[in-house]
Amino acid sequence: MNEFIEAKVALQWQQPKAAYDVVIVGGGGHGLATAYYLATRHGITNVGVFERSYIGGGNSGRNTTVIRANYGIPEAVRFYQRSLELFASLEDETDRWIMHNQKGLLWMTHTEHGMRAEKARAAVNTAFGAKTRYVEPEEIKEICPQIDLSGGGKFPVLGASYHEEGATARHDRVVWALAEGAMHRGVHVHQRAPVTGLLRDGDRVTGIETPDGPVSAGVVVSAVGGHVTTLASMAGLRLPIRSHPLQAFVTNHYAQAFDAIAASTDLLFYMSQTARGEMLLGAEIDRQPSYSYRSGHHFLESCAHRAMTLFPFLRDLRILRQWTGICDMSPDYSPIMGKTGVDGFLVTTGWGTWGFKAIPVGGEQMAQLIATDKTPELIAPFSLDRFARDRTLADRGSAGTH
Amino acid sequence: MLERLEGLRIIANAQALDAAVWPNGSRVFRLAADDVFLLGDGEVHLDDPHAIVELETGFSGMSMEPAAALDWLESTCEWELPGQRPAFAQGAVAGLAVKLWFDETEVFVMTASALAAELEERMP
Amino acid sequence: MSLRITCPHCGVRPLEEYLYGEVPVVPDDVVGDDARDLDRAFMRANTEGVIRERWFHAMGCRRWLWADRDTRTDEML
Ligand SMILES: Cc1cc2nc3c(=O)[nH]c(=O)nc-3n(C[C@H](O)[C@H](O)[C@H](O)COP(=O)(O)OP(=O)(O)OC[C@H]3O[C@@H](n4cnc5c(N)ncnc54)[C@H](O)[C@@H]3O)c2cc1C
Ligand SMILES: [Zn+2]
Repeated sequence: MNEFIEAKVALQWQQPKAAYDVVIVGGGGHGLATAYYLATRHGITNVGVFERSYIGGGNSGRNTTVIRANYGIPEAVRFYQRSLELFASLEDETDRWIMHNQKGLLWMTHTEHGMRAEKARAAVNTAFGAKTRYVEPEEIKEICPQIDLSGGGKFPVLGASYHEEGATARHDRVVWALAEGAMHRGVHVHQRAPVTGLLRDGDRVTGIETPDGPVSAGVVVSAVGGHVTTLASMAGLRLPIRSHPLQAFVTNHYAQAFDAIAASTDLLFYMSQTARGEMLLGAEIDRQPSYSYRSGHHFLESCAHRAMTLFPFLRDLRILRQWTGICDMSPDYSPIMGKTGVDGFLVTTGWGTWGFKAIPVGGEQMAQLIATDKTPELIAPFSLDRFARDRTLADRGSAGTH
Repeated sequence: MLERLEGLRIIANAQALDAAVWPNGSRVFRLAADDVFLLGDGEVHLDDPHAIVELETGFSGMSMEPAAALDWLESTCEWELPGQRPAFAQGAVAGLAVKLWFDETEVFVMTASALAAELEERMP
Repeated sequence: MSLRITCPHCGVRPLEEYLYGEVPVVPDDVVGDDARDLDRAFMRANTEGVIRERWFHAMGCRRWLWADRDTRTDEML
């Protein structure tokens, strides 16, 4: 038994109460972080988290764990930079080893157009506090010796933006550290507790329906990942979200150290090495919306093929496991957080393929909103009404599925 | 290998195309219900006054020996090849959009000219 | 095993031959031009269940077809 499982066993699991000040639907990273920051920053502990499966069983336990702030628009850079800071201190704060590891992220490009985009990224990042600079091929080779700069003759590497603070952390440990931190302060986390309906009084949401009966709530927060439109529809709310599968896979052990996180926008893949030495790869989402966890062989083939053009050593490795998560994609590739126009019902969604890195900041900001009933300045641009106000935050080029 | 083709592109109503009599020895690519690409010489009689018949030069193709072609197709196609002859089929072959004509003597492989070089690289 | 879609002209083909065509449906209870425009542009039912959708057979006949799919299982009906 490792120290981590022991910690799990020591937790106190409670029966659901008939009422909570705050009910959070979904025990993924965002739901649990919201509970954690409510408890630690605002002393709000009469909180129930309802998870229909096991905590971290959604995307928070299925992602490729890239943490970075190298986005393309000021609102996003500021927001994710805050998350980098919170992630860096999470280990000390929770006294749990989440395996946070700063690796540096290389975002490579093979076209003139891409070079301009990566230079622009470096400039916007620098202006808004993220550490990113444009690097030439020679330096790329120093950072990442395994690369074939000629890209198999077809995709020569022309340059990259290099984001020094790019990092990874162990996803299930993050989720459990937050759950534990919240529970030790009195938050109730309920596993195998599906929310099947919302209680309403007129237009206002006043609680949840569960198989064990209704639970009333001062406020209900939806943190259900890819299933958000189904929950929101119970509040009479339509959302600009489509759920798309995203797949990833790991290879067997690679004997050399591969220190950086490597990504290519043009080749649509990214890769890092896990603590066990496996190579972890992901690519783009399935084009059709779906809730099915079916994994496709076609994905493996095309993703592996593209990755091998830059990293020929992958040829000698085997694919060990592949898996799928269902991502809540927003139309502008930015998150949607906060008030919804339905009283008593908040959402944290639009985390798509990029929300792991935002777990601490997402939780911190949602907690502040709940505690103060005021939308914090950092997330005001990400509110749902931006679509009606014609203030979308298009940043597809930075989403990159990681 | 793959050579630029000159054929006829015929857009007409589906019944007229079903009933058409094609010149002897021609290869008929029924691209869609209302859309034919015809490789072959001779007159075509169509019962559709609104039919559009144009010279089509956008495809490239080559003839393959049936056994070699089937070997290649079976390893690069995720779908079932037609059993009868003659036959037309189209779909992804080695990840590219390919159109195929099968008869007793050959398999004729065709693709949009823009993809021809890429297809050649993926052929045996 | 990859998802298969039946094209009435070309036959049963893997998903990779097709492009996806979304069919936005604005519910009747969304009223007012602005509200309907906003809904059509951005909002989606994103149904967990059977949906009617379109696929473009890009690598075959290059025609659109209609299909019913259960988004929970990806079963084509
Ligand atoms: C393959 C893959 C790779 C990714 N890579 C990265 C990456 O490298 N970096 C990055 O930043 N992001 C990445 N992401 C995205 C990231 O994983 C997600 O954005 C993030 O985990 C979302 O967290 P969440 O808490 O919102 O959702 P989830 O973790 O999905 O949690 C939602 C929870 O709600 C529960 N739930 C749903 N409906 C109900 C209900 N009715 N009642 C009760 N509970 C319910 C679910 O069971 C689930 O546990 C990746 C995603 C995938 C799939
Ligand atoms: Zn077709």
